[in-house]
Amino acid sequence: MITRIVEWIGRLILGPIEELGRGVRILWGGLSNVFIRPFRLRLIIQQMEFIGIQSLPIIVLAGFFTGAVFALQSFRAFSLFGAESMVGGTVGVALTRELGPTLTGLLVAGRAGSAIAAEIGSMRVSEQIDALDAMATDPINYLIKPRLIAAMIVTPMLTAIFDLVGIVGAWAVCVKLLGQSEPAFMVRLLDWVDFDDFAGGIFKGLIFGTIIGTVACYKGFYTKGGARGVGQATTSSVVVASVLILTANYFIAWVLE
Amino acid sequence: MSQRSAPPDDPQAEAEDPVTGEPGAIVYSDVHKAFGDFKVLKGLDLIIPRGKITVIIGRSGTGKSVTMKHVMGLLRCDKGNIWVGKDELTSMGDRRLRKVRDRFGIVFQHAALFDSMNVFDNICFPLREHTRMSNREMKAKVTDLLGLVGLSGTETRMPSELSGGMKKRVGLARALARDPEFLLYDEPTTGLDPILSAAMDELIVTTHKAKPGLTSVIISHDIRAVMHIADKMVMLYEGVVYDEGTPEHFETSDDALIKQFIAGSLIGPMSV
Repeated sequence: MITRIVEWIGRLILGPIEELGRGVRILWGGLSNVFIRPFRLRLIIQQMEFIGIQSLPIIVLAGFFTGAVFALQSFRAFSLFGAESMVGGTVGVALTRELGPTLTGLLVAGRAGSAIAAEIGSMRVSEQIDALDAMATDPINYLIKPRLIAAMIVTPMLTAIFDLVGIVGAWAVCVKLLGQSEPAFMVRLLDWVDFDDFAGGIFKGLIFGTIIGTVACYKGFYTKGGARGVGQATTSSVVVASVLILTANYFIAWVLE
Repeated sequence: MSQRSAPPDDPQAEAEDPVTGEPGAIVYSDVHKAFGDFKVLKGLDLIIPRGKITVIIGRSGTGKSVTMKHVMGLLRCDKGNIWVGKDELTSMGDRRLRKVRDRFGIVFQHAALFDSMNVFDNICFPLREHTRMSNREMKAKVTDLLGLVGLSGTETRMPSELSGGMKKRVGLARALARDPEFLLYDEPTTGLDPILSAAMDELIVTTHKAKPGLTSVIISHDIRAVMHIADKMVMLYEGVVYDEGTPEHFETSDDALIKQFIAGSLIGPMSV
């Protein structure tokens, strides 16, 4: 009985440590391979197209309506005490600092992270990763590096696009729909949103891209079982990446403040 | 912690295969491997003779595939030594292991073709990765290999458009692309009908004859399908070599376990 309890406690402690170790191995493996031949530029560009270009429609749509709805609600609230002119600045700061990077991270984790985990996971269960190894091709260099690097490059870019489109959405609601004067909207926006806000958001995008790439590759690479295992890896990659993004967002915001 | 004995200076010279009389190309010495509490290999001693076809048989779960994966360093043993020629694998790092893997080709049980690439790109993959061949040279090589495995004209087809037997043949062509010294087959006839199975056997023999010096190792539980092509047969049972010899030795064996396995009978020392 006591042995079983000790074993259970041991598994409880060692399990997460083992998972963390594997995650770090994937991250380190991907990054340390950046300058190791072959450089896989073609694969990196392919992955940038997949994660970046193919995510654009959802990022543009989500960004526009996030900015629009935020402006709509803020305008109503601020109009209660005649402070409508602050809407542009408020939406701009919120988007560039928090909403842009966080929502972009969550959307990329859901769209591209899940697909990466599923693709690598199905390669694992169908022995394609063993085949890579057997042909003396390092799977970390061939599979992990391009996806990780692409996610790290593309997520900050998508964050910037989300920010800009979100501001356009807010402008459309305030100026075109609710009749606020354009100078009133723009003055506060340009006055309140400075380069540090924007750069901080882009930095978050870089961290979130690293999280998405690492978690998706890790979950896929260590998939076990058949179709069920691939499904679990896919779901798990989205859940873990989302939780890590939200948690990391708080700590980065705290550090940047 | 593995306990390794010092590798001999020339293990090939010391290890001669008792069945064929040929020098050992691959030598397993007291190899142990466990997955959690489940011990798969329990002190495996085995010599794969150079230039011959060796068939490793045994029931499902006896460690045949595990044995094969060890020789390419896809799995690491818990204890023991494995030599490929003069290279001792258990003490090697990943980079040196990759150089050893360069000498191998492997035909996976389910072919393991890259499903995002067509037949041409699948076969070209090892050439693009490890050689500086021109596109024209690669095209000629792929045409030759597809001709050898009887699949000429399928270059543009995707793996999803191929039957199980065709996938295995493309897998064989890919394994042969870099003219390996060793060719490993993992259950080459599993899932094939008797006619395709016979065709696969013939292809294995044809390939072996077409590549002088090639050492072939076949993992199978389909003893009848592979018996007539083997130079040496090895039966694994409970993580060790139970018996080894020529196909004739197995056919005429009085051992109850071997007789039951060959007959595929439910009655005998092996229970379901």
